[in-house]
Amino acid sequence: MTTETASGAGSAPLAVGSSPVRRPIGRLAPLVPGLLVIVLLFLVPMGFMLVFSFMRTDVNFNLVPDWNIDNYARFFTVATYVRTFLKTLLMAAAVTTAGLATAMPFAYFLVRYVSPRLQRAILLAVIVPFWTSYLLRVYAWQAILGEHGALNQVLQAIGLIKEPSALFIYNDLGVGITLWYLYFPFAALALYAALDKFDFSQFNAAQDLGARPDQAFRLILLPQIRAGIITACIFVFIPILGEFLTPALVGGASGSLIANLVVNFFRGAQYAEGSALAFVIAFIVTVVLIVFRRYLRVEDVVARG
Amino acid sequence: MAERIDPIELMPVSRHARRTRGLLAILTGAMIAFLYIPIVFLVLFSFETSNTPGLPITGLTLKWYETMLKDRQIQQAVLNSVIVAAIVAVVASVIGTMAAFPLVRARLRFADSIRLLFTLPIMIPGALLGIGLLLTFRRVLNVELSLATVIAGHLVFTVPFVLLIVSARLQGFDRRLEWAAADLGASPGQTLRHIVLPLISPAILAGALLSVTLSIDEFVITFFTIGPQPTLPLYIYTSIKLGVSPEVNAVATVILVATLSVFGAGSVLLRSGRRLRRREAR
Repeated sequence: MTTETASGAGSAPLAVGSSPVRRPIGRLAPLVPGLLVIVLLFLVPMGFMLVFSFMRTDVNFNLVPDWNIDNYARFFTVATYVRTFLKTLLMAAAVTTAGLATAMPFAYFLVRYVSPRLQRAILLAVIVPFWTSYLLRVYAWQAILGEHGALNQVLQAIGLIKEPSALFIYNDLGVGITLWYLYFPFAALALYAALDKFDFSQFNAAQDLGARPDQAFRLILLPQIRAGIITACIFVFIPILGEFLTPALVGGASGSLIANLVVNFFRGAQYAEGSALAFVIAFIVTVVLIVFRRYLRVEDVVARG
Repeated sequence: MAERIDPIELMPVSRHARRTRGLLAILTGAMIAFLYIPIVFLVLFSFETSNTPGLPITGLTLKWYETMLKDRQIQQAVLNSVIVAAIVAVVASVIGTMAAFPLVRARLRFADSIRLLFTLPIMIPGALLGIGLLLTFRRVLNVELSLATVIAGHLVFTVPFVLLIVSARLQGFDRRLEWAAADLGASPGQTLRHIVLPLISPAILAGALLSVTLSIDEFVITFFTIGPQPTLPLYIYTSIKLGVSPEVNAVATVILVATLSVFGAGSVLLRSGRRLRRREAR
């Protein structure tokens, strides 16, 4: 691990002043309640999820400890699951791409061309919707994208379409638009945090030395904001793997993502099957988060304000 | 405020650069509009006369607000949400603040792993957390789902948020203040109460307000851990699922204003904290 992390930097100087003698156990005590919350309400439940995933649900919907891996096998063989899972990955990738493609010019413009005062105002404008109810924002898109929704009305009014179109709702497109909307702020804030640290005189220097703007962008800027780009990708990609509300409200029958299948299992009290599917997602998510742990800059994205 | 000299102004600006800049400005404006479209519609529809909200607006009315205020179920749901949020905010602030101290100050060998452990519940999709809790409560502990199980579910992600915010404040804390207090004869308890806690209180309060906001709006984990008494988001979800009644838009608008007020108060606190720190630094 690198030593540039907060704990190293923050506590290094105090070794001089504070007595290292009466350190250990007592000073760790305040950590206990917090750890208990995480262990009992997060790790232990995940453990049970794993255990249940190897059980079987009998006809009375009881979990029977008849240990097997069928629940996992089914996940990899039944076409619906495989298809929905691949579609979820594809959707997450597409939304991440759309999010980055719009957030990058957005953040670049803010940092490069906007006065600090206006930058703060615009950042606030990005954060505000993101702190308003997630459920309500998804619900609002249902009203906008629907057959009698605002988008259709506007398109009809300007004469682009004649009949109300069901093109935007209860399909993957509607889900995609809504997800792009929901996760754009994460990407924008992560990229802003990265670009804000970049010294643009390097950019000008590169161009003075003969680089074309696109070369300067690719060779000078991109490598230096790589961490911010990875942070943005994680903050958009990961939550989509667990999205079930957006598909439920604007996705209809054809727009389901993998988490909807999990939820359906639990609705139908098929806990063993649902646990296996949920554990596969949880496992993938956790591995990604651990691998990219250096880029989990929650404070850059969420605690800004 | 002193105007910063933009390096781009000093360079000969090509027409191409100017056009790029114009395009970027348009895109930025469009994205901000995009962010506010759904919110504008929610608010607009809450004043719409017709039972089926949509464009064009047929007329403006306050009747949905009246219906909302008379609705006993909504009142009960609001009360449930407030109870949950209040308990969550208090418990999460205390636990999160306590945990921040050893994590920042005791030089733990596994500090990074512990930090990661506390970050995971923020990052892992709520549906997975909710399902894990549902399994544990129903199939292992066999307890009935209630507001208590909802509170447990909300603590999983609010404790980490408080921890994060308070740790950030503690990292910038000038420890010489504490040493000075100790030199002057203050006990560790007195130093904590009279020096440390007052100085980090903006962060603790901001964490508490953030917890309130997150808890009041939380839908996904609540969806799995809720019993017969709905919180407000769950009540709204049920109304949406049953077919939209326009008073949902009125409720939505009220929540919007309430959340933004709490959020606004929180960011003012954080900012005043930051200003305070800057003054200390001088």
